[in-house]
Amino acid sequence: MGTGNSRHKLAALAACALSGSLLAGTALAAGPAASAASASAASQETTLRVKMSGSGVDTLNPFLAFFDGAYDVFAAIYPTLNSLDETGKPGPYLADSWTQSDDKLTWTFKIRDGLKWSDGTPLTAEDAAWTLNLITTDAVAGTANGSLVSNFESVTAPDATTLVIKTKEPQANVTYVSVPRSGIPIVPKHIWESQAEHLKDYKNDTFPVVGYGPWTLTDYKPEQYAKFDANKDFILGKPGFDHMVQQSFKSVDAAVAALRSGQLDYINGVNPTQFKALQADKSLLTIQEVGNGWTGLEINYNARTRTGKKIGTGHPALGDPVLRHAIALATDRQTLVNKVRDGLAVVGAGYLPPAWPQWVWKPAPGEETPFDLDQANKILDDAGYTKGGDGVRVDPKSGKPLELRLGIHSDDTDDAGISNYLKGWLETIGVKLKIQTLSMSALNSDLAKGDWDLLMDGWTTGPDPTFLLGIQTCAALPKDDGTAGNTDSFFCDKDYDELFKKQLTTFDLDERAKTVGEMQSILYKADVNQMHFNANHLDVVRTDTVTGVIIGQPDAQGMYPAQSYAFWGYLKATPATAKVTAAKEESGGSALWIGGAVLLVVLVGGGIALKRRSGADDRE
Amino acid sequence: MSAATNAPAALDVPRHHAFSRFCRAFAKRPAGLAGLGLLVAFGVLALVAPLFIGDDQLNVIKVDGPQLSPPVDGYPLGTDQAGRSVLLLVIWGSRESLSIGLIATALTVVLGSAVGLLAGHYQGWIGKILMHVTDWFIALPSLPLAISLSAVLGQGAASITIAIAVTSWTATARLVRAQTLAVEARPFIERAKVLGAGNTQIMIRHVLPNVMPLILVSSTLTVASAILSEATLTFLGLGDPTSVTWGSMLQAAFLGGAVTAGAWWYLMPPGIAILIVVLGFTLVGRAVEHVLNPRMVGR
Amino acid sequence: MSSLTAAGLAKAKGQGVKRSDLLPYLGSKLAAALVSFMVTLVIGFVLFSLMPADPVRTLTRGRPTSEAQLVQIRLQLGLDDPIWQRFLTFVGNTLKGELGYSWQFQQSVSSLVLDRLGPTLLLTGTATVLSIALGLWLGIRSGWRHGSLFDRIASGTSLMLWSVPTFWLGMILLVAFSVGIGPIPSLLPAGGMSDPSLPQEGWAHVVDVAKHLVLPSLTMVLVVFAQYVTVMRTSIIDEMGSPYLLTARAKGLTDDAVRRRHAVPNALLPSVTMIFMHLGILVSGAITVESVYSWPGLGYLTYEALRIPDLPLLQGTFIVFSASVIIMNLLADVVYRFLDPRVRAQ
Repeated sequence: MGTGNSRHKLAALAACALSGSLLAGTALAAGPAASAASASAASQETTLRVKMSGSGVDTLNPFLAFFDGAYDVFAAIYPTLNSLDETGKPGPYLADSWTQSDDKLTWTFKIRDGLKWSDGTPLTAEDAAWTLNLITTDAVAGTANGSLVSNFESVTAPDATTLVIKTKEPQANVTYVSVPRSGIPIVPKHIWESQAEHLKDYKNDTFPVVGYGPWTLTDYKPEQYAKFDANKDFILGKPGFDHMVQQSFKSVDAAVAALRSGQLDYINGVNPTQFKALQADKSLLTIQEVGNGWTGLEINYNARTRTGKKIGTGHPALGDPVLRHAIALATDRQTLVNKVRDGLAVVGAGYLPPAWPQWVWKPAPGEETPFDLDQANKILDDAGYTKGGDGVRVDPKSGKPLELRLGIHSDDTDDAGISNYLKGWLETIGVKLKIQTLSMSALNSDLAKGDWDLLMDGWTTGPDPTFLLGIQTCAALPKDDGTAGNTDSFFCDKDYDELFKKQLTTFDLDERAKTVGEMQSILYKADVNQMHFNANHLDVVRTDTVTGVIIGQPDAQGMYPAQSYAFWGYLKATPATAKVTAAKEESGGSALWIGGAVLLVVLVGGGIALKRRSGADDRE
Repeated sequence: MSAATNAPAALDVPRHHAFSRFCRAFAKRPAGLAGLGLLVAFGVLALVAPLFIGDDQLNVIKVDGPQLSPPVDGYPLGTDQAGRSVLLLVIWGSRESLSIGLIATALTVVLGSAVGLLAGHYQGWIGKILMHVTDWFIALPSLPLAISLSAVLGQGAASITIAIAVTSWTATARLVRAQTLAVEARPFIERAKVLGAGNTQIMIRHVLPNVMPLILVSSTLTVASAILSEATLTFLGLGDPTSVTWGSMLQAAFLGGAVTAGAWWYLMPPGIAILIVVLGFTLVGRAVEHVLNPRMVGR
Repeated sequence: MSSLTAAGLAKAKGQGVKRSDLLPYLGSKLAAALVSFMVTLVIGFVLFSLMPADPVRTLTRGRPTSEAQLVQIRLQLGLDDPIWQRFLTFVGNTLKGELGYSWQFQQSVSSLVLDRLGPTLLLTGTATVLSIALGLWLGIRSGWRHGSLFDRIASGTSLMLWSVPTFWLGMILLVAFSVGIGPIPSLLPAGGMSDPSLPQEGWAHVVDVAKHLVLPSLTMVLVVFAQYVTVMRTSIIDEMGSPYLLTARAKGLTDDAVRRRHAVPNALLPSVTMIFMHLGILVSGAITVESVYSWPGLGYLTYEALRIPDLPLLQGTFIVFSASVIIMNLLADVVYRFLDPRVRAQ
């Protein structure tokens, strides 16, 4: 190295390395699946830009996928037997009509004629039969959706427009088995037949993906985006946009920033703080959907296996209904709604969420558990739980103090918030909480072993409640060797189990709803699954670029029905005609902006000063 | 090393002199004094916090402030989502953030010094093995290792502390080993050996006091990075979300949408607090380093 | 997590130069690196087998799942194999370049890592080059005129920035430049690596990626360059006392020439070593930046893996990060050999 121009060499080296890394990065990032969309065409055509669901896409293989983002994609690109209407009732899609035999064991679906997969191959009943059969018979294919078809005896396609499903037992919810997003997507047999052998390793990433739906998937980059073209011949209506992009954001704040600056049109799911901050923005429409899930407390009241063998390390006193009721009495659900969800939630009671009104159950007047700390203290006193010197009550039977572990999810801010409140309230009734923050997996693994006292929990459900009700049956308990079982709280009740079987075979909707209501009443009285609230789902739309993406009308409280955004919302969205320049809201955080500006000025100014200085130096 | 030049046989008197000389030299470094001032201020605040912050201000079921409000009367730095004063939270958070930083540093220093001393003193196979282990740990990427460790150990302050210590002891170990080698080459060690001093005695009585100043410098800087690590690990979701630390405040603010809400009063203070404390430790550490190392005079 | 001054420098200088032949030297370094890597594998495996985890229920959460499905998933993920068998499979696979099978993405970890490697290299590469350029330049200037106003401002600023948590700086920059300042609209995109509504190739794509790159790389640069300033500044000051500089001045060279031709080349040694050792750490430092900016790289992948936690994936990124540190340390040794004039002169 000559010493004369070492600095210049250094600079040149730096420049080389920079451009090198830029090139390498873009080349690698562009990857093999770069889209072929041409710039000129894209500028004239319309594109709907939405945020991908929070958890993103795990895999594009519909037999293996578990994440919401993947189901959003499947709803757009693969057909289902039935669609769901605004209230979550099954409607026509591939099937335009369906009938049941008198013994309720045979379902016959009439499949539409003349539909074609995106590569031109006819779409027939045979595709549906092949897909459903594969899931029924092949364990790998059943990875994601096996439970939906576990009661299927056979699926056949006697001709191109007839699909016959025979079930082992009568099953009321067959029309929910293949619905957009929460059900089984039908895949083209001619593409997938050759992949059935090694389904586990098939990534399904040959673009455009052959499918049929409102959209066709043309490109997908993990953690970045999924791109779609509209299917102009879609049977349930033509999408209002020519293209759709679902973009992945890890932080919702980043997505909100993109929405505000006009790079994004729609976000499904923001948190209450963001929602309130966006309400003031004139160019945005903020809506609340009724929630499709619950957040609540699970109590390990008596963990045991199917044969009744006790397992785990749960506190014995939790087996006493009095203590469980005292905990319920000491929980101020309204305050949790107000403080943890900023008021944007419904106080919880029934086990099934308000998104699906046909199943909603509420305790009869006078049967609700109020927030009453005095009453809670009183029933504990009466039951013989005396306070020790440290103010913590002692279980009269086991002699153990009421010190309970509360497991919360480490990645859930609601859990952390709620646990702080619970700790405070329970302290006033002489129950001490020890909060354990655990990863999802650690929490779930403790749950299965019964090594817990209290857990924060939450579930969401599609319009068919069978699965969510099913995890509270005795059949969901683990085996003696600790394996199997998908119980949520080791709940097991004979009456509940009988009602569960009854609702499964009740074909009249109202009657089924009544049975489901009775089941929820049993759960409510047991105080084992204490529902805290049903959080409203919060959405934001740019009104200057999109209309029609929100389905349905708000009720008196301004709440919209649960959105089938991935299917109906994106299908019915159309470009807004008025081009309004984004009117920015004045934000309250002026000091922050000023701080940022100062930083910028310092940096830039410093840079200029240095530059000057260096120039002067060189001239010396 | 100024301390190293003193005759170690009569330790007490010269060391006292050394200390007062050290103080005088330190007092001449304004940056170091400023850093010390910042640290003392934060330390005092953290210690007296329980006098004016209690359950009434921190327990969510007892506070009644407005939710996520910008600074108003009675809440000079606004409130968080539960209606607690951000100012009080930042002050309270200093307790846990500082103690995690200090405890992690203490662990780091003990572990690192022990390994370094042993490796420097026993230069045979023990020393070789210890240095190999140290090299392996240096090759382990510290943030991923800390993340994995605290994921394995479970959430919470204890596991974060351990994770920080495990990932940062190597630098101390190498420094101490190098210094131990240098000290042991001096004649007075030879003299001690001749006089019949055992291995332990040499290490504890003769080498350690001479290595101590260096350990002190390196530990001051370790506190700074330990506090940064604590904030980072907590931000990544490995802390205890129910406890109040600067990292957990930032995590709550980030996940809770404070960026979108423009809640600068919630985002800025914990970050600035971290900045001040880390800066304080760094300034003090550099000043001490300069004072102790005559070669660095004038920098 | 590397300390700023004495420790880092001493580490860099500790890489003693042995006057032995090049090949045996390289050979021994390589062997040491390989042993190091094997040890990393063992540590990684032990660490992740200790982690309590039942991923199946986590993965299937929210989806209806039957017992048969749960059993099938456990089988597919190899969760029920005995631990020694898992270890052998693990070592064998890793040596073949197979890093296991991600629980949440249900595909091979190697392909996930490969997918994310490009963006991470782009981000850390850009950030490194910029911080080296900025850090060394500032370091040389400050060191040469230490005590001057320029030195005080440069050292002070870098010290401040070094004391800031990376993710916090990221958030602040995100708010300031991406959410928009008051009436000024947002200047830069908030997250991701490209705007998917634009074409994904050609010049427009490069510009688009560059725009997305600004904030994340700026965040990294601001935090990282401080260390380079400090090291470079210290080594320049070290050199300034050297007699050869006096000789150079005596020859009548200008101040500028003395600095450029004599002081800087010699002072570069420790800095370059330190920079290389730092590179490996930088890659893992991308974890927080990528999480804040949704940059689709390895750090973001780690963050995602942490959520489940997806052990094979965490294990995979851990191995990749360790390997990068080991390789960079090896390179640091080699580069040091090549750069040190005393060695080259032989």
